[in-house]
Amino acid sequence: MSIPILSLITFLPLAGALLLIFLPKENKTLLYGIALTLTAVVFLVSLSLYFGFDAQAEGPQFVEKTGWLGFGIQYHLGIDGISLFLVLLTTLLMPIALLSSWSYIQVRIKEYLIFMLILETGIIGVFISLNMFLFYVFWEATLIPMYFLIGIWGGKRRIYATMKFVLFTMLGSLLMLVAIFVLYNLYYKATGTYSLNIFDYYKMLLDPKLQTWLFLAFALAFAIKVPMFPFHTWLPDAHVEAPTAGSVILAAVLLKMGAYGFIRFALPLFPNAVEKFLPVLSILAIIGIIYGGLMALIQKDIKSLVAYSSVSHMGLIMLALFSLNIEGVTGAIYQMLNHGLSTGMLFLIVGILYERSHTRLIKDFGGLSKQMPVFSAFFLVALLSSAGLPGLNGFVGEITCFFGIFAANKTFAILSVSTVILAAAYLLWMFERVMHGPITNEKILSYKDMNKREILYLVPVVVLMFWMGLYPRPFLSKIEPSVARAIAGIKSATKVFVQKPEAVPPQVKIPERSADIR
Amino acid sequence: MNSFGAVVPLLLVVGAALVVFLLEAFLKKENKNYLAYFSLLALIATGILGARAWKANLSYFDGMLRLDNAALFLTFLFLIAVAFVILIGMKYISMQDANHGEFYGLLLLALSGLMIMVSSTHFIVIFLGLEVLSVSSYALAGFKRKDDKSSESAIKYFLMGSFASAFLVFGLAILFGTAHALDIPDLIDFFKTGPDNQVLGLVGLGLVLVGFAFKIAIVPFHMWAPDVYEGAPTPVTAFFSIGPKAAGFAVLIRVLAPYWDAGFRSGKLFGFLWALAALTLLVGSLIALPQKNIKRLFAYSSIVNAGYMLIAVLAGDGTGLLFFLTTYLFISIGAFGSLIALTGKGREYNDLEDFAGVGFKYPWIGAIFAVFLLSLAGFPPTGGFLAKFYVFVAAVKQGLTPLVLIAVLASLISVYYYLRIVIYMYMREPEREVNIEMENPALYLVLFLCLYGVLQLGLFPGNVLYLIKQAVAALL
Repeated sequence: MSIPILSLITFLPLAGALLLIFLPKENKTLLYGIALTLTAVVFLVSLSLYFGFDAQAEGPQFVEKTGWLGFGIQYHLGIDGISLFLVLLTTLLMPIALLSSWSYIQVRIKEYLIFMLILETGIIGVFISLNMFLFYVFWEATLIPMYFLIGIWGGKRRIYATMKFVLFTMLGSLLMLVAIFVLYNLYYKATGTYSLNIFDYYKMLLDPKLQTWLFLAFALAFAIKVPMFPFHTWLPDAHVEAPTAGSVILAAVLLKMGAYGFIRFALPLFPNAVEKFLPVLSILAIIGIIYGGLMALIQKDIKSLVAYSSVSHMGLIMLALFSLNIEGVTGAIYQMLNHGLSTGMLFLIVGILYERSHTRLIKDFGGLSKQMPVFSAFFLVALLSSAGLPGLNGFVGEITCFFGIFAANKTFAILSVSTVILAAAYLLWMFERVMHGPITNEKILSYKDMNKREILYLVPVVVLMFWMGLYPRPFLSKIEPSVARAIAGIKSATKVFVQKPEAVPPQVKIPERSADIR
Repeated sequence: MNSFGAVVPLLLVVGAALVVFLLEAFLKKENKNYLAYFSLLALIATGILGARAWKANLSYFDGMLRLDNAALFLTFLFLIAVAFVILIGMKYISMQDANHGEFYGLLLLALSGLMIMVSSTHFIVIFLGLEVLSVSSYALAGFKRKDDKSSESAIKYFLMGSFASAFLVFGLAILFGTAHALDIPDLIDFFKTGPDNQVLGLVGLGLVLVGFAFKIAIVPFHMWAPDVYEGAPTPVTAFFSIGPKAAGFAVLIRVLAPYWDAGFRSGKLFGFLWALAALTLLVGSLIALPQKNIKRLFAYSSIVNAGYMLIAVLAGDGTGLLFFLTTYLFISIGAFGSLIALTGKGREYNDLEDFAGVGFKYPWIGAIFAVFLLSLAGFPPTGGFLAKFYVFVAAVKQGLTPLVLIAVLASLISVYYYLRIVIYMYMREPEREVNIEMENPALYLVLFLCLYGVLQLGLFPGNVLYLIKQAVAALL
């Protein structure tokens, strides 16, 4: 019996949170020390996932499976090439986010760290659960710490923002829960055994009419999380009000849960419905790209500018996912990582600026680059990564996405390229107004450049950005085979139905797709 | 098996109640706590007797009183509930200037009523239990004699309760007139086979249901609940939220679950209850939204929870219902216990504004209260989530998906009003002075046990489910 690495990285943060409860709240160094050590250890342990991961092997790896509540509810963990890097992204960003909060969070530090650690447990759990029940439990469990993080340490309109965040997400996920119940009962009726194992569900071929409803329930939950236009309205509110670290985690990882949900659940489970709704979803994604970009152009607040840029970028990721070919989906997953790094870093940068100025309005700045040269360099790298400059990670991701989209639909590809133009426009224009020009605001003269701690947590991100931009092979080689298998699963299922349309498909048919993914 | 053992637990409880009433006259004011300890001992003894009767299927009085597993399981629930209520009430009644030993005696009497209700299948006996429960409940609701709201709540509860009892008796009369029987199995036989007079029988059954609907507070028979919940002493409110509700639902599922199996699923009664469940869920959660008083809010919340339980009844899911009741016991008593933890001498803090900043001022109480609220809102990994999960799964299986969608909508709304309390506790600055009495070990014990119960039931409910399975075998 080897070491259960997945359980370890999932529950180590939770154990840390429980430990923190019993420590004195005055000792800031001790509290941070424990939280940082734990998250760093989790990251190091999670690296072993990368090295131990065999890209060519079929099915999930590092599997842990034991009975839990009975009736198909199992404790079932495992990762494939799709979830591997999302887990790594989470474990990497968590210590960085904690470091960034050292001076930003001034009150109730103990509670803050506890919620951050619980959040890490929830997020990792979402990415590695292979049992629908377990997945849902973690999915919901991420809500609670985020709710507190925004609500307690957020800005002026934090209560409105946090409530909106929770209610939007709950609306989607509760409908998804009902859909899970329906699947659960259908599976039982078809086979006589209970199961919530996602791989068992892949084998079901459902009545197309029913698929439509179930797909809509799943897609709504994930589309709200991503967020896709028109369900995105909670995002700018949540981002603007959340504390820096909350925004980082929200943008970099929590949004990815939605995209991940699509590729793991919504797309493979309901192939016929996907076929039907793909154009609609793609168009929504394109609207998201353009609308998000245009909205970002006119924002006065830097943080909400970055938030809207997230909407735009996530639109591209979703569009690439919906192209359903290997390039597109691989690009989408790679771009998820890029977006996590670049947007995460942009939020960190905005946080650094806010700690000095206590404002985020673009008009309050100007000429910062003279006062803060190091900061300016980091800002520029993050920005160019987000805008997709060749040599940086964003370029590789976007170009792969475009290849995929182009292969699927040329019109969509042409429209989606606007994301690059728009991103360059709103980011560079913002940079120009904030960093260049004469110093109009005298307070700027008192700002100090970045300190060692701030440089320390930004450097790993910058290194990764260059690495992923110059030599993406180590990443793509692990992602691609899993994506190929996932796509084959979705496609072959569609074919089964398309080839014999005269046969009325029964409500549930089990063995049709058995060979695909498992 | 016919054995006097079936009556002994009941006699023990009633006897203990009488002893408490008697001793009350001789004890000095500062020694009233001994009555609480005595009552707890009696509860433990009853529990042991009950545990020994598990699976023995004792009955007495020609089967009028039956200690089958279902009755025993519910009896355990009631014992736990009453023990918790006594523990959270001890300090409370002395702080609220109502330190009278009758509190414990009345609770024990109410308990005996509950036990009678669940351990019979004969409607006359059930009615007897219901009345014992009701009369003690009226007195308990008005226990803070010097408090106007408490008296108002007692009067309201009494009037509405008598009204409901009248419905019930009238319904029973009609049922007896048509079916010539009041034992539940006979009644079910009558409805399955009896060719004529079905309509009149259904009217009788409908009236009986209305009577019970009052007791378990489902819309539109819920009007008394908010006022009674608000006015009654908080430990008593905690008791109301679980005791009568559990007994009422136990009777309902005993009556109705076999009835659904007989193919009455498409019948009018089913549609009637379906509509009641939907109405309860929607009206309850919508009215809960603007509530400012937490006890009133919990009253509506308990109405909504009755809606979920009604779904379990409609789905004929005894396991789900009993599991829901078990978790609801811990959540509800825990939540009201947290409210009691936030009381001062002669003063209660029940307005939302009182809770501003409480979470950081009293971190332990705040955190525990927050867990109960999240559990009520149905967040995993607490018992509240699993309870809803089981009920909804069973309902979808029985083709009640539209009702489940309504229930899900209700829980979405409930997320808002439960989290609003959390918002006040953690995200607002204190506006009012809140001074609470901190020294209350019995209460903290209960809070801890409830917290443990909620988490245990949410993560590892296996043992409890095993017991419930054995109990349900007797129920259906």
